[in-house]
Amino acid sequence: MTAPALRLVAPAPSFLRRLNPLAKVAAVVPAWIALLVTREATAPLLLLLLAVLLLLAGGRLHGRALVLLLIGVPIGILVVSVGSALWVDPGGASGTAVVVSAGPLRLTAGALLIGLTTALRLAALLTLGLIGGLTTSGPELARALTAQLRIPYRFAYAAVAAYRFVPRAAAELTLIRQALRIRGVAPGRGPIAAVRRLLSGVVPLLASSIRHADRVALAMESRAFGAHPRRTERVPPRWRTADTVFTVAGWAATAAVLVLVLRSP
Amino acid sequence: MDGPPALAPAAVARSVRIRYPGATAWTPDEVEVEVAPGEVLLILGPSGCGKSTFALSFNGLVPHAVPAEFAGTMTVGGVSTREASVAELSERVAMVFQDPEAQLVTRTVLDEVCFGPENRLVPAAEVEARAEAALRAVGLWDRRDENPDILSGGGKQRLAIACALALGSPLLVLDEPTSNLDPAGAEEVYRLLGELTAPGSTRSVVLVEHDLDLALAIVDTVLVLDGAGRPFASGPVREVLRARAEDLEALGVWLPTPTTAALRMRRAGIPLDPLPLTVEELAAALADLDVDSAAEEPSVTEEPSGTGSDPDAEALPALPAVSVTGLTVKRGGRRILSEISLRVPRGDFLAVVGPNGAGKSTLVQSLAGVLRVPRGTVGVLGIDPARASASALRKTIGFVFQNPEHQFVAHTVEDELALGLRQRRLPEAEVSARVDGMLTLLDLHAHRTSHPFLLSGGQKRRLSVGTALIEGAPVLVLDEPTFGQDRARAADLLELLAALNASGTTVIVVTHDLGLIGQYARHVAILDEGRVVALDETARILSDRALLEAHALRQPPLVRALAGPSIPAELRGLTRLADLPGLR
Repeated sequence: MTAPALRLVAPAPSFLRRLNPLAKVAAVVPAWIALLVTREATAPLLLLLLAVLLLLAGGRLHGRALVLLLIGVPIGILVVSVGSALWVDPGGASGTAVVVSAGPLRLTAGALLIGLTTALRLAALLTLGLIGGLTTSGPELARALTAQLRIPYRFAYAAVAAYRFVPRAAAELTLIRQALRIRGVAPGRGPIAAVRRLLSGVVPLLASSIRHADRVALAMESRAFGAHPRRTERVPPRWRTADTVFTVAGWAATAAVLVLVLRSP
Repeated sequence: MDGPPALAPAAVARSVRIRYPGATAWTPDEVEVEVAPGEVLLILGPSGCGKSTFALSFNGLVPHAVPAEFAGTMTVGGVSTREASVAELSERVAMVFQDPEAQLVTRTVLDEVCFGPENRLVPAAEVEARAEAALRAVGLWDRRDENPDILSGGGKQRLAIACALALGSPLLVLDEPTSNLDPAGAEEVYRLLGELTAPGSTRSVVLVEHDLDLALAIVDTVLVLDGAGRPFASGPVREVLRARAEDLEALGVWLPTPTTAALRMRRAGIPLDPLPLTVEELAAALADLDVDSAAEEPSVTEEPSGTGSDPDAEALPALPAVSVTGLTVKRGGRRILSEISLRVPRGDFLAVVGPNGAGKSTLVQSLAGVLRVPRGTVGVLGIDPARASASALRKTIGFVFQNPEHQFVAHTVEDELALGLRQRRLPEAEVSARVDGMLTLLDLHAHRTSHPFLLSGGQKRRLSVGTALIEGAPVLVLDEPTFGQDRARAADLLELLAALNASGTTVIVVTHDLGLIGQYARHVAILDEGRVVALDETARILSDRALLEAHALRQPPLVRALAGPSIPAELRGLTRLADLPGLR
């Protein structure tokens, strides 16, 4: 007999986790489209703030997810703003005040604004995606895709199984690169040697991944995977009223932001 | 003859032959077998005889999923595997494979067990009832909400067995279920299988396994295939093992350790009849023996080489091969190694053992310069492996990774061996002379132009040892060289290591397999939670049962059999087969 595991009682899932995974995508689609076409900074900023607030209020985030959202996203905005400000054609933003000047580099206020807009649009796109991304597991998404969108479960579940391959392949590649280094393949440090070692590791990594995939496929087939067009769902994901309300609210919020921005001079 | 009608057999194989594309020989070839309800059948045979392939034919993976030619018939629960799909057969046969990692699909223990029945469209309420029954049977019900990744190796295999039970099939096929596990994990799996096949159960089991010391207790019948995959022997397991022990040994099949020991002593003229198969039987047989007269002659047989107390040990130079001083390694805020200090004298054969996660691999990787450790903590024959150049390192210490494929880079066996020599720009004549010598040592001459990835498992392992040796490194370090390999191949490798050690190479091996490595190692270090908890001569470590069990290790069967007070004094406390009378 195994001793009962030390395990905290799982808290009730957060508001966002209880929603259907597809609702979390459907609600943000109009906002994504708006972000692709907009060329100014206010709408992305508002959408970004809304997404962050929603995640903080309804996502019950911990650890790395929280760090990503509260530190990673602002740093990303800063880096992309300055980076793309240097990148943009200064002609397009000429006639604005020079903020920083160092040798041939000149950073104008106009270029900075363009950079900031780009950064905010990217950050808002990403953060809206995180509403679903940080609060949904792969299997939940797979179940919703098969139940609501009628995607054949074979594809959805094969993707779930493939998800397990990623950490395995990463650990394997580390070992292979260590092995190649002590065998003196592409010796030395620096990026070129590192890339050469990476390339030498591709064959062993592929060989072992293919073998692993074969084994997984045999094990899944032995457990009747793909026997029927459908499979039993113990807890079938449902589309509830809350999902409709959340989706419509997402669309309404996007519309409100756009109206606000377009009406302001 | 007038008894109740026998139940229909769980599986019947008639003239089964299987051939892989491109192969000329059929392995297995013309196999006949019947598995009765409640019977536990063990399939034995040397490497390459097709026993795993045969196991895959029970649920139709051969020929439906594995591209191989299948002749003859296999019937399970009255259905021919040729006519039914693998999915349909999953109601009649469930499989458990060797690699626990390759059988996981979902994110929780409970979902994992439900996966099979859900695919079979079993109603939800019944899926849950079956899952609960299966998880309770394997003792994992309390852990149903956990991620299967965090279970131990033994726990993952118990989960795989629960998944098989939940499918509700009366026949369970297990293909080497414990060869990736540590001793505690393997014991866990066989305890469970023992419960599932207790007398009165109608569950049939087909088992491919080479560690008979653990498996024998649950097995009823045996089918032995020869090297060409043809049936060699079959029948009740104890009768076959007793009657054919010498034939099986000649075939390259691994016998239970007590049987191997008894065969040895028989050859030395010690009558052991009937042949003991278990630790208890060997202990009892020896206790009854009037050994004094019989053992007189063999006790003067040649002195076994490489015992801890051999006289030239004192003559070794004072400079150790490897010295570790106050080595601490942290990763992700966790201490993997804490303040390790260790000296390995030149010419030693050291086994590093301990439970999973004890830091064994980290320790040997630090020795070989794979990991960069703080200056001054590790020295190998006067160099600092973390700071030496790759070629200086390879001339001093050779490292063999757990998976040999990880270190292969060339397209032929020859080039693989020549790689390091050519990097040093040695004259081509010298390179080919050294490569030739190494091919001979490794018995790989016939494969010199093959691609390293196309070698067999045992050949790959030998080649990886060769790449580590060819530059003449006087220190050789191997991480789990017997992991996932069958016993005969593992023993071949250890013979090679023993020969190298006898010619002066210092050998350090990380291992779970004390039963095998204990036969060769001079010293054993036990590592647990990043500390060296014991380091002593092999015999002393092996005879300390409490110490071993406190660190998830187990006393090897031979040591257990010879430990009791009733064992004749000449044999009591011996730990190595080579020390038994009968050496020729």
